[in-house]
Amino acid sequence: MSNAFTVAVLISAGRHPVSGAPRACRGDAVAMALGRRMAGDGVRVVHAGAAEEPSLQDYLALGAGTIEVLPLGNSGDAVAALASHLKSVDVILTGSNAESGAGSGLLPYALARALARPVVANVLEARVQKTAVEGWDVEIRQFLPKGQRRRIGCALPLVIAVHPLAPVQLKYAYARRVSGRIERFPETPAETCVVQPGWTVETASRRPIRLKARETKSGHARMQAAVVAEAKGGVVAFEGSTVDKAQVMLNYLREHRLVDF
Amino acid sequence: MSDVKRVNPRRPYRMSPAGLRRIVLGEIASADPHIGVTAHEAQQAKPLRTREPAKRWHMAVAHSDRGRLDDHAREAIAAASILATADTGIVAVILGELHENAGELGADKIVVFPDLDASRFQPQREEAVVHALLDDFKPAHVFMPDNLRGDGDLGRRLIAKDEAVAATHVIELDARHVSVGWSGGAAIAKAPLPRFVLLAPGAVDAKLPFVGAGELLPAPKLPSVVEAYRDLGLEPMETADIALEEADFIVSAGNGVENVETLGTLARTLGAAVGASRVAVDEGKFSRDKQIGASGKSVNATTYFAIGISGAVQHLQGIKGCRHVIAINRDGGAPIVKRADLTVIGDAEELMQALITRVSQAREQGEVSRSKDE
Repeated sequence: MSNAFTVAVLISAGRHPVSGAPRACRGDAVAMALGRRMAGDGVRVVHAGAAEEPSLQDYLALGAGTIEVLPLGNSGDAVAALASHLKSVDVILTGSNAESGAGSGLLPYALARALARPVVANVLEARVQKTAVEGWDVEIRQFLPKGQRRRIGCALPLVIAVHPLAPVQLKYAYARRVSGRIERFPETPAETCVVQPGWTVETASRRPIRLKARETKSGHARMQAAVVAEAKGGVVAFEGSTVDKAQVMLNYLREHRLVDF
Repeated sequence: MSDVKRVNPRRPYRMSPAGLRRIVLGEIASADPHIGVTAHEAQQAKPLRTREPAKRWHMAVAHSDRGRLDDHAREAIAAASILATADTGIVAVILGELHENAGELGADKIVVFPDLDASRFQPQREEAVVHALLDDFKPAHVFMPDNLRGDGDLGRRLIAKDEAVAATHVIELDARHVSVGWSGGAAIAKAPLPRFVLLAPGAVDAKLPFVGAGELLPAPKLPSVVEAYRDLGLEPMETADIALEEADFIVSAGNGVENVETLGTLARTLGAAVGASRVAVDEGKFSRDKQIGASGKSVNATTYFAIGISGAVQHLQGIKGCRHVIAINRDGGAPIVKRADLTVIGDAEELMQALITRVSQAREQGEVSRSKDE
């Protein structure tokens, strides 16, 4: 074997948000592509759930090869089942959020906790290198908002949650879909370790209501608020030379701490 | 004299932007007879939310951004204080420096950790620090913004550690329930208010009619934690290369900009990304991927400079998410003036040149004074 480290990718059942049609969850497909880049064909693809799930076919077409399916018992707790199945794997890759259900993004954290490993989220790229000492080290590029990127180093083993914007190409091939295999594993009895609130699901028929502080105002105050709100728009600088006006703009930037000089 | 109540026919009014006179009852005349000062406008200080001693606590945890709290972090503190009863105190835990008064945002007690800035990656230390505070206060509910600046990450770490009941990306909440989007937003799922609530942006109105006590607590000592992660630092970035959707500072050009090079210089001086309105793109001055507006990109920058842009509805739609809009325009009646927080009337080219000179001066001076400090 060329790789002395092992990589596993967790995939979930994807659903189109509008039509509800089964498909590969985009975030998980990206994680799988990243896993294939790290470990080639040696990457293990694991799904916790039903083997009959139609979206698994999409993952095969995207290059999963063999999908290992862990059936979930009545408890339906994926974390415990995955933790016992993936104990020996060095790098576990997941997407950021599932497409079906709450999509809370908690699974990588719960799994890392169960396996007592570090976890890094919003990962764009990861490269595993050999360290001077007998061991493996991974260098990670993490997504931050506002165009920022951060580099993080970490020793194996660890759990990585991949950001959906990771720069990978997804290639769909029907031949791989036909040749791919789904391997079923026996169910392992496990106790629950993620407590889910009791969700009741209803169709989204209205917009969510913003939480507002209750304010007891007189009618007069409300009328005034309505009139004053009309006068929207900020300060207008008509007067002065161009230098003064430039100073006005700089003052505004400084006052609101938009610049650091 | 009859005691018929007379109304002063020349009582003060204010002009609305539509040019209409609005007479507001209860206004008192100011020096300028036509511009009334609302009696209410001499705003009395907001009242304290509660004077009762705290028996229970709500906690809000957020990273600060350059010494300030962004809207999302404010919403988390506001949620904690709106849902609090009279005998509930609000603890705000701010990671990073804080230069503003969090009491005005509704917090009763504030703990600031200037060393745990969002620009550094030290999740285990943050987790230990916040966990120690959770043990101290034992808050009934913890509110955090669910963002990618470290708060969403920290929140999930705390949830996993406590194996707590939690809701993430909460789009709606009240005193008893939270709602989240289900299956990619196709449905809504409701649950009783859990201990940890990670809020989606915009779920709460951060405007409060009250203030908190705002007592600054001494920051507990940072525990010595050996991080499993090595922070190799932020990547140096070329601001011009940042995708517009991600950029924090955008300088955008419209029809009023003749010289594209000046705009480029201004963008480099300010460290901003370059955008353009549809007219400027159609003229061939900018590439299509720079277009901001309904048929281009929607941007969420903190600062947006609109230079020579009149502000067509389609353009304003694209800049809905921008917090501070500064406009340079020759026409004081352009629609952008209503949207902008600051409008400067004048020639775009001259003003850009003046701003470039002034900003480079300020930068140099800033560097000089900083090196003196050292």
